[in-house]
Amino acid sequence: MPGGGTLLQAAVKTRPVFWHLSVGLKIAWYALAVVSVLVFLYGVARPFYKWSRGRGGPWPPYPWRELPARLWRGLQSLLSHRTIARRDRLAGWAHRGIFYGWIVLFAGTVVLGFNTDFTKPVFGLDYFHGNFYLGYKEVLNVLGTVLIAGVLVMMFRRGVLRPRKLDYTRPDRAPGEVHLERRTYRVGDWAFISILLVIALTGFVLEGVRIAMSHPGYGGTQFGGWVVAQALSGVSSATLGGVRHGLWWFHGLLAIAFVASIPYTKAGHMITSYLSLSLRDPLAGKRLAVIPPERASAPAGYGQLQDFSPLHLLQIDACTKCGRCHEACPANATGRPLSPRDVVLELHEQSNVAIGGVLGGLMAGRLDGGGAQDDAVVGQDGVRTETVWSCMQCNACVEACPVGIEQAPIINQLRRRLVEEGELDPNVQSVLQTIHKSGNSFGERNRRRGRWTEELDFDVKDARREPVEVLWFVGDYASFDPRSQRVSRTLARLLDRAGVEFGILYDGERNSGNDVRRVGEEGLFEDLAEHNIAAISECEFQRIMTSDPHSLNTLRNEYPVLGADWQVLHHAELLLELILAGRLDVGGRLSYRTTYHDPCYLGRHNGVYEAPRQILRELGCTLLEMPRNRSNSFCCGAGGGRIWIPDEPGQERPAENRIREAVALQAVELFVVSCPKDVTMFEDAIKTSGNAERIELRELTELVEEALLPAEVAATT
Amino acid sequence: MKFVVCVKQVASLDEEFELLEGGGVDSDFVEWELNEWDTFSLEAALALRESGEGEGGEVVAVTVGEQEAEEALLACLARGADRAVRVWDESLQGADPLAVARVLAAVVERESPDLVFCGVQSSDAVTGSTGTALAGYLDMARVAVVTALSYDAPSSTLTVDRELESGLVEVVRIGLPALLTIQTGINEPRYATLRAIKQAREKPLVTYGLEDVGLDAGAVGVAAGAHTIELQTPERGAGAQLLDGSPAEVAARIVEIVQERMSG
Repeated sequence: MPGGGTLLQAAVKTRPVFWHLSVGLKIAWYALAVVSVLVFLYGVARPFYKWSRGRGGPWPPYPWRELPARLWRGLQSLLSHRTIARRDRLAGWAHRGIFYGWIVLFAGTVVLGFNTDFTKPVFGLDYFHGNFYLGYKEVLNVLGTVLIAGVLVMMFRRGVLRPRKLDYTRPDRAPGEVHLERRTYRVGDWAFISILLVIALTGFVLEGVRIAMSHPGYGGTQFGGWVVAQALSGVSSATLGGVRHGLWWFHGLLAIAFVASIPYTKAGHMITSYLSLSLRDPLAGKRLAVIPPERASAPAGYGQLQDFSPLHLLQIDACTKCGRCHEACPANATGRPLSPRDVVLELHEQSNVAIGGVLGGLMAGRLDGGGAQDDAVVGQDGVRTETVWSCMQCNACVEACPVGIEQAPIINQLRRRLVEEGELDPNVQSVLQTIHKSGNSFGERNRRRGRWTEELDFDVKDARREPVEVLWFVGDYASFDPRSQRVSRTLARLLDRAGVEFGILYDGERNSGNDVRRVGEEGLFEDLAEHNIAAISECEFQRIMTSDPHSLNTLRNEYPVLGADWQVLHHAELLLELILAGRLDVGGRLSYRTTYHDPCYLGRHNGVYEAPRQILRELGCTLLEMPRNRSNSFCCGAGGGRIWIPDEPGQERPAENRIREAVALQAVELFVVSCPKDVTMFEDAIKTSGNAERIELRELTELVEEALLPAEVAATT
Repeated sequence: MKFVVCVKQVASLDEEFELLEGGGVDSDFVEWELNEWDTFSLEAALALRESGEGEGGEVVAVTVGEQEAEEALLACLARGADRAVRVWDESLQGADPLAVARVLAAVVERESPDLVFCGVQSSDAVTGSTGTALAGYLDMARVAVVTALSYDAPSSTLTVDRELESGLVEVVRIGLPALLTIQTGINEPRYATLRAIKQAREKPLVTYGLEDVGLDAGAVGVAAGAHTIELQTPERGAGAQLLDGSPAEVAARIVEIVQERMSG
C-alpha cells in the first residue's frame, strides 16, 4: 500500500515509505538508485586496477589468505578510532560521531530498503512497524544527532580553530606558484562536510514535517523530528505537504548522489584509508625494502608511477589530508621545502592524471599502460629534488599517519632513483665514495677504527680472536668522532667494571649502512651489510650491543632479511640490565634536573623509550619531559644522511628548535641523549642557539659513570 | 664520434705512512682509486656524447696498469663508458710517463678516435706530462689544462678555454682529431652507484699485452726511461715558528709579528 493514510498510521506505529508517490516516480527513484550504486561500484573497482599495475612490489601486497585477518585488525583499529584519536582527541571524538552516525544512518536505510524491497514483497514479511519501528527511529535519531554534532565540531575546527595542520599551503612551492594553496582541496573538504550536514538536517526536517502533519502521538521518541514539528505547528497542512514532497526528493537525491560520488571525492577515504590501514606494515621505515632479484637490472627506486609498489600506490590514494605528518615533520617545522603530506598529495594527483578521468580512462584507452604513467614523478612540476633531499628519514610522519601511509619509505624510493641518476648533493656523493673506499664516513683508514681504545688502561678484546659475551658494534661516530670516543671509553669502563666479557670487531667493522640506505644508495648498503654479516658471523658471542641507534636499527631490523639472526641491544638496555642486577651500583646519587631526548632510531624505530628513563630514575635524576617526547620525539636533523648535507645559513636547524623546547622546561639542567649523532648535533645547537649558560649535554653513559664515581670522574674528564 | 679517455688508478697515501727501502711506500698505507683529474675528463667525454652534437658516440676508457687497475676502468664503465682497454706487461712496473704515453699511443692509434681526453696530471706522480707526451707520439693537435669546451658540429671544431698563469684564460679553436688534458672543476663528475659498478662487469673490458699493441718491452720498459731510486721525507726547515696558546693568544701574537715586520 504505497501511501498510507493518516488514520492508519496513528493506529499502526509505522510510517509510509513512499508517501503519495506515483508509480512513474517510484520507477525513476529506483532507476536513479541503481545508477548511483553502479557509479559507486565502478569508482571503487577502478583504483584496484591502477594499484595492481605497480611493478615495484607484489600484488596483492600480501597473500590473499592473510587478507581476512588483516581486514579484521583494520576494522578493530577503525572501530576503536585508536589511530584517528591519537594526538588529536577533539578530531577523534568528532570523527567518531560522524563515522558512527554515518554508518548507522546508512545501515538504517539498508534495513528499511530490505524490508520494502525484499522481505515484504517476497515473503510478505513487514517488520517496519510497532516496537521495531519505534526503536529504529530512536536509534537513528540519536545517531543522526551525533553525526550532526561531529560535523559541527569539524566545521568549528576548520573555520574557527584553524589548526596549522589543516593549512594546505605547500612549503615546497613559492608564493605565486600554481597549487600553492590547493584551493580545490579546501572547497572539496567544505563541500564534503556540508553535504553530510545537509543530508542529516533534511532528514530531521522531513521527520518533523511528517509529525506536524500526522500527529502520531509518539513524537517524544523521535525527538529530532519532534523539535522541528513544534516549530511548524502553525503551518497549514497543504503547505506542509508541498514542502514534504520537495524535501523528500531533495534529501533522497542528495543522498544517492553522495553515495555515487564517494569513490571520487574526499569521501573515498572511507574505502582507501580503511584498506591502507588494514594493510599497514608495522616495520615501515624500520626495515626498508630490498631490491628483488627480478628487478636487479631495472633502475632502482621510484622514477615513474609504474615503478611504485601496489601497496604504495594504494597508500597515495588513501591520504585524508589530516596534516598530522605535516605537523610532525622536523623538516617542515624548520622551514624546509618538505611536507610529507604534500609529497603524498602530489603523487596522488599525478596518479589520478595517469589513470585518466572517470570514464575518460576507458574511452582514451589509457588503461593499457599508457598515459602519464611514464612521466617522471620528481621534477620541477612534481615532487622537487630539494624536497626529496630535505627528508631526515626520522619516520615521524609514518608514526603520525592514522591510515598507515609510508611517507618516509616512499621518499627513500624516490632517493634511490635520484642517486642512480646522480641527482644528489656533492657532499653526500663524496661521503658515499669515502664509505665505499674506507668503510667509514670519516674518511679514516679503517684500521684506525679501534684506536679509541688505546687510552683505556685495559685491553678491549678482539671479538674476531676470542669468544665474548657481548659483541659491541661500535659504529662510525662512536669510533671516530673525538667527542663520542670519550663516551665510548666511558661505556667500555662501565662494562669492564660490571664484569661484562665484551669485545669489538676492530677493523673488521664497517659502517652499518643504515644512513647509506636512507640516502638511497642501496647497492652500497648491500655491500656493507654483506661485509658486516660475514665479519660478525665469524665471531662467537651471545648478544650484540650497539652504541649507535642507527646501527641498532639496521642490525636488528634490516640485517635479518639478509640472513642474520642475532639478539641486538642498545647500550641503554644493557646498562639498565646491569644496574638492576646490581652489577653497577649507581644508588640514586645524582640529583640533576634532566630532560631526555628520544633518538628517532632508538625510540620510534625500535620502541626503546623506558630503559633510558628508568636509568635516569635509578641515578636519582629528576626527569622532565619535553612536550614532544617518545614516539613524537623531534629529530635532531642528522638522520637520513642529512648530517652530511650542510644546512643553508640563516635557517633554524632542527637541533636548535629542539634545544629551545628543552630550555623552556622549568629549571632544567641537563639535556640527556643516547646517540652519538645527538651528541654532535645538540652540543653544537646548544652553543649556536645561545643556550650554553642554561643547559648542558650529557650522554646517558656519562651520567652512569658520574653516579658510580663522583670523585674520580671530575679528575678524568 | 669516438672518444678515448686515458685514466690511471692512483695511490692515495694515509696521513701516516712508512717508506720501504728502495723507493716505495708500504702498501698497508696506500689505498687505490681513480685519479681525480680523470673523473673530470671522463665526465667531459660523457657529457659531450650526451649533448646533441656528440650523440651516439662511443667512449672507450684506456689504462696502463696491473690487474687492480681494472677497478678504475669499472668506475669509468659504471659512469657510462661503453668499453675499456687495459694494457699491462711486467716490464712496465715503475715505467716513466713517456713509456706509458707510448703504450697509450699504440692503443689510441688502433682506436683512431676523434677526441682523446686525459687528466692534466695524476695525483700520485704529479708529472703532468703523460697527456702531452701522448699527443706528441700521436702527432696530434693538443690543448693542455682545459677548463671549458664546446663543440661545433658543422665545422667539426672545438672551442676550448685553457688556464694560464695569473688567472689568464686562453681561448683556442681546434679541429679534430685532437687531444685535451682536462683540469679539475670543469664539470661535476657524476656518481657511480655500487649497483652500477657491479653491473659494469657485464660491459666489455679487454686486456692486452705489449705484443698485442705492437710494442716490445725493450722500448717501453723501466730500462728505457727514468725510474725512481729512492723516496725521502723532506728535511725539516728551520724558518718556521710555531705559536702555542688559545686562538685569541695566537691571533694577538700574529698581529704583533705582522706589525713588527711591517715597521721593520
